[in-house]
Amino acid sequence: MTQPPNTSLFYFAAAFATGGLLSLMVLFNGTLAAYGSLFFASWVPHLTGTVAALFLLAILRPKRAEVTRPPLWVYLGGVSGAVTVMLTSATLNSALALSGTIALGLAGQMVFSLFADMRGLFGLPQRTPQRRDYVSLAFIIAGSLILIFFGSST
Amino acid sequence: MIIFASLAIFAGVLVSLSRQINGRLALSTSAMESSFWNHLVGLVFITVIALIVGGLFAGEPQAAPWWAYLGGIVGVVFIAAGSWLIARIGAARTALLIIAGQMVFGVLLDVALGAPGNLWARVLGVGLILAGMWVAHSGKKTS
Repeated sequence: MTQPPNTSLFYFAAAFATGGLLSLMVLFNGTLAAYGSLFFASWVPHLTGTVAALFLLAILRPKRAEVTRPPLWVYLGGVSGAVTVMLTSATLNSALALSGTIALGLAGQMVFSLFADMRGLFGLPQRTPQRRDYVSLAFIIAGSLILIFFGSST
Repeated sequence: MIIFASLAIFAGVLVSLSRQINGRLALSTSAMESSFWNHLVGLVFITVIALIVGGLFAGEPQAAPWWAYLGGIVGVVFIAAGSWLIARIGAARTALLIIAGQMVFGVLLDVALGAPGNLWARVLGVGLILAGMWVAHSGKKTS
């Protein structure tokens, strides 16, 4: 990696803070699901998110990286995200409950992310995870599992 | 049981898949535009499925507190950030650090909201996560 440490620290902090946003989303959308259907709890944030994104695009007017249009499949990320909600709504009500759903989801996410990095899937940069990455993965997943299974009363 | 376990694992795979595809779109356009398409395409998809299955407005959604409706505004920044990060630090690091942040901030939120929980499990869990982040970052400097 040719990036100076300061840049990498910035990416690090940004990714960690992004995870913080996710915990807020879980709180908001989870509260919505407690009153309405799981569909509704996913439909509303997609609706308000579309409006908010349009608003932000109008204000920020970010530059397009390329003039040519990318292939059509790159617009389908939202489908994958929506299917996730439906899958978890099925597993939440099974014997897996919330803890099992989250734990197995983390496993699937990490294994596929490592595989994607090694292969450079979907036109993203290829990179080989180092030993350190696996050590840090072991620590973070161990800590997460403890929090998921023993950290709260649910 | 094995079917449900497979579904839960597959859901995790889809989280990563979605971030990769959005990251690829951000490479051609911008992180915010990628987030816009993610939400719009997801909205259309969910609407179609909900129309087929029904029950979108079941329950008492109008009784939910107003702040529960703010998830989408946070989500726009969340998807944009993920799309931006994945091309820069890779899918695995992005996923791992987002998980770390979600877990640590989740504990802080629980504490702030007074949710009951085991103190020692929380201390140990957060400690392990912070240790893992330290390992990952101390490696970055030397590479």
